[in-house]
Amino acid sequence: MRNICWHLFTSIGATLATANALAAGAAPDREVSLTIYNKNIALIEHVRPISSPAGRQRIEFAGVSAQIVPETVSFVAPNVVLIEQNFDYDLLTPAKLMEKAVGSQVRLVRVNPATGAETSETAEVLSTVGGVVLRIGTRIEVLREDNLPTRVIFDKVPENLRAQPTLSVLINASKPVNEVARLTYLSRGFTWAADYVAVFDEPKSTTSMQGWITLHNTSGTSFANARTQLVAGDVNLVASEEQWWTNWQQRRSTNQRSSGTEGSGREQLGDYYIYPIKQLTTVANNQTKQVSFLDAGAVKASKGYELTFYGFQSNTEPQSAEVRMRFANSKAGGMGEQLPSGVVRIYMRDARGQPQFVGEDHIGHTSAGSEMALKIGDAFDVTVQPTLVQTRRITKRKAEYDMSYLVRNARSTPSVVTLRQYGLWRENEVLKESISGRRIDSGAFAWDVPVPANDETTLTFTVTTSW
Amino acid sequence: MTVLAGAHAAQADPVEVISPQADGVSVTIYRDLFALITETRTVDLPEGPVTLSFDGVVETLLPESAVVTDLGRALEERNFDYDALSPNKLLLKSIGKSVTITRTMPGTGRVVQSRATIVAANSGGITLRTEQGNEALHCSGLPERLTFDELPADLHARPRLSIRLAAGKAGKRSIRLSYLAHGFAWKSDYVARLNPASTRMDLTGWITLQNYTQASFRGAQVQVVAGKLHLIDIDDGGTSLTGNSDNFSDESELTEAREEARQLLQTDLEPKGSALQLFGGCHALPEPAAPNQSHDESVERFDMVIVTGLRGSMRMSMDVKQNAMLVEREELGDYQLYRLPWATDLNARQTKQAVFLSKRVKIERYYSYVFNAQNVRNDGDDEDLETITPASMVSFENRKASGLGEPLPGGMMRMFDTADGDELFAGEARMSDKPVNVPVELDLAKALDLSLAIDVRRPDPEELRDAELSERADVELRAFNAKGVPVTLEIRQYAGAYMPGATIPKSSDRFRRKYGDFAWRLRVPANGTRVLTYRLEMPDVADDQ
Repeated sequence: MRNICWHLFTSIGATLATANALAAGAAPDREVSLTIYNKNIALIEHVRPISSPAGRQRIEFAGVSAQIVPETVSFVAPNVVLIEQNFDYDLLTPAKLMEKAVGSQVRLVRVNPATGAETSETAEVLSTVGGVVLRIGTRIEVLREDNLPTRVIFDKVPENLRAQPTLSVLINASKPVNEVARLTYLSRGFTWAADYVAVFDEPKSTTSMQGWITLHNTSGTSFANARTQLVAGDVNLVASEEQWWTNWQQRRSTNQRSSGTEGSGREQLGDYYIYPIKQLTTVANNQTKQVSFLDAGAVKASKGYELTFYGFQSNTEPQSAEVRMRFANSKAGGMGEQLPSGVVRIYMRDARGQPQFVGEDHIGHTSAGSEMALKIGDAFDVTVQPTLVQTRRITKRKAEYDMSYLVRNARSTPSVVTLRQYGLWRENEVLKESISGRRIDSGAFAWDVPVPANDETTLTFTVTTSW
Repeated sequence: MTVLAGAHAAQADPVEVISPQADGVSVTIYRDLFALITETRTVDLPEGPVTLSFDGVVETLLPESAVVTDLGRALEERNFDYDALSPNKLLLKSIGKSVTITRTMPGTGRVVQSRATIVAANSGGITLRTEQGNEALHCSGLPERLTFDELPADLHARPRLSIRLAAGKAGKRSIRLSYLAHGFAWKSDYVARLNPASTRMDLTGWITLQNYTQASFRGAQVQVVAGKLHLIDIDDGGTSLTGNSDNFSDESELTEAREEARQLLQTDLEPKGSALQLFGGCHALPEPAAPNQSHDESVERFDMVIVTGLRGSMRMSMDVKQNAMLVEREELGDYQLYRLPWATDLNARQTKQAVFLSKRVKIERYYSYVFNAQNVRNDGDDEDLETITPASMVSFENRKASGLGEPLPGGMMRMFDTADGDELFAGEARMSDKPVNVPVELDLAKALDLSLAIDVRRPDPEELRDAELSERADVELRAFNAKGVPVTLEIRQYAGAYMPGATIPKSSDRFRRKYGDFAWRLRVPANGTRVLTYRLEMPDVADDQ
């Protein structure tokens, strides 16, 4: 990989048909920086010294992302006027090589199948449509019509055929150039996400919380020693990449004016959170890379059981209570960080002390100070079975329901299950209840039902409902 | 490794340390097609910064789930490279490098070797620069082959997880690496043998483990977790191949989705033959260009998974070995964890079974029919209601007193009648997770030799109005038992939220409330008939003001 990506393709004798321009080279990157957004897009900046004689020159940049969005390329170098920029996709293949040889000479090396003797001839390629037609001296022949071994040797590879997609710029310089150029563009093939690992210690009511940035490079290109930062926020609010790019350019130029330094322009990307990776890092192609950004040892956390019912009905099967891990993303609770959106994987230790995976939940971009209640899973041993015990009709559109919720706890520890009942609007009244509940919103009540170890508790209440 | 030492490289390259294999491994299998693999490895770390690579990890590893502990020094970053070594990748990574081309001349068999540089290699073919000039590989009609000087450093025969560590104390350490990997599944199945009187059953619970991956684990500690984990779809950054677990309203939907995903995964991990091929394409047969395609996309299609093992076959044995060693159970958070008490080999594409439960349990066998007389309209020809077949049920209490009192992970329950030493399949039912103390009722089959006829009569509307009722149904239910033994029949009349104020003012038999419904228990004599009559009423009420 390093040879392709980081070797400079100084195409020798490259000339443009129209302009008397020489291909000049950019040296390897002095710096490369990646700004990776959540949604399959990254902003890449290469800083490279360039040198070329005065006049019209073509400069090629090897090692740019193979998934570059060519229309977003921006090339800036002092004392250099940009004339045009090209992104050549014309891949070098045997077929292309032959096509480009139409009208020019190639060498044929034939091998005698009986003796193995080689004979060499020069031929002119006349056509490559549906087969290769050659003129050899005064004869016209089709290549390998006789199926005999024939090697075709080309003196040179046309300079616009590339081993990989290549970016080049055509510049006009009034004097010899010896500058540092800055090349920026957007590229597809990059994603990142936050991944969290929480090891929940239920007896101690704490959890550890580690945060990892996982970034994935499928751009086809590796970037060595890159300054890398990740931007949290949804950048795909704008319809097209081009428009997003325009907006970004405007925002950047605003920043540059106010701050006066180029480097700091990045830190002010609107309201997005930026996570710089502290050291230079190599982002290899087809690699999943993870960098730690959060390591909190003992965050206060507790476990809770919850279950929500939306109607009044009897169930023949008990329903498992949801298990949630509750914690505060606060300084007081042991954390208090901006958490980029991602998946939290929760582990608990088994009887031998080995962490076992117990469930995962998604968190959105979370600011410090937020209260969290991550769903771990369903409790095997804590269940709720509803029964509509009795109904009484009051009017055509009003009835009284006696509900009973049998909460069973087969665990060896007491539990409290928060039971939420929807379908209780403002005009509905709770007439009787075995445990005192509370209204939690315009349509629901909640009861905290304590259940001793290996026991059960029945919550009963009577409500009026109308429809 | 993949760290490129450019002329401007700022940092000292870390020393690479390779950990070829795990010393010990623990595999915890979940129902949702993945497992948690926990490996212990011994590594000898030098003092300076280290790139530590773990070889021999499971190929389906979910890199973002990896956790490395007990390192004793700061972990700076971790990388997962799965650029598997394949002919295509070998070529791609050798672009620009010097190779040897060997040609065998026809006729004489003379072998000619020369050096060449790979100028380009892509789906359109391979272009070389030889001493004579530029030419295409495999286009001349001569037998040609390339010989590579070395393996590109970043191609691996097996997937590799590596971590970069800061400098620290030198020495041997025992570290722990854990990660989630797809391609594992487990299920629980039950076999119940009923005694001739159908008053008890010998219940055996089996755990069946399945490893669909090509990874083999020797002497592994194996656990399974019973319970429903909250999971996020893999496309949303989670672990689940079956989708977000909040999307499933009931267990049967989830079971179906798991089965579907399992089949997909199995196909995915299936051996795919030897379709590997080098890049093709010659100048004589021009191919249409695909300009926007990146190299790797075109290569990806050729990436193959090679599996060497054979797929094990799933057998449902009915015999419990005498003194069979049972799987141990413990609580894990709010789940049940079952541990194979011995170390075991879990081989590639293998199915393994173990007994986790063996109990003699008191049961009740009865028949059940649930209906709502309100839905029966009296139009004179209710043929449907003349031959109703109730369900054949088995119920038991999951308590110590009944001989059980163990958490029962959900699964298929297959029941067998024993009579005169013969075994007869009595039916099967899918059971959901059952905690202790929760009664279990299983619908095994449709009854044989037991049928019902139901007749519902209603008064005319005037009579109903005079009685201030919105509904009155006089139900006559006849049960016919053609069996040579008396049976118990449970009838349930629905009484839910849609029937506010429903009552049973008259009944031939005592009833109770069950699941909010009105329920009767009837004894139907052998080769006899039993009649139940009751009246269902719903009050009429005033309009709202």
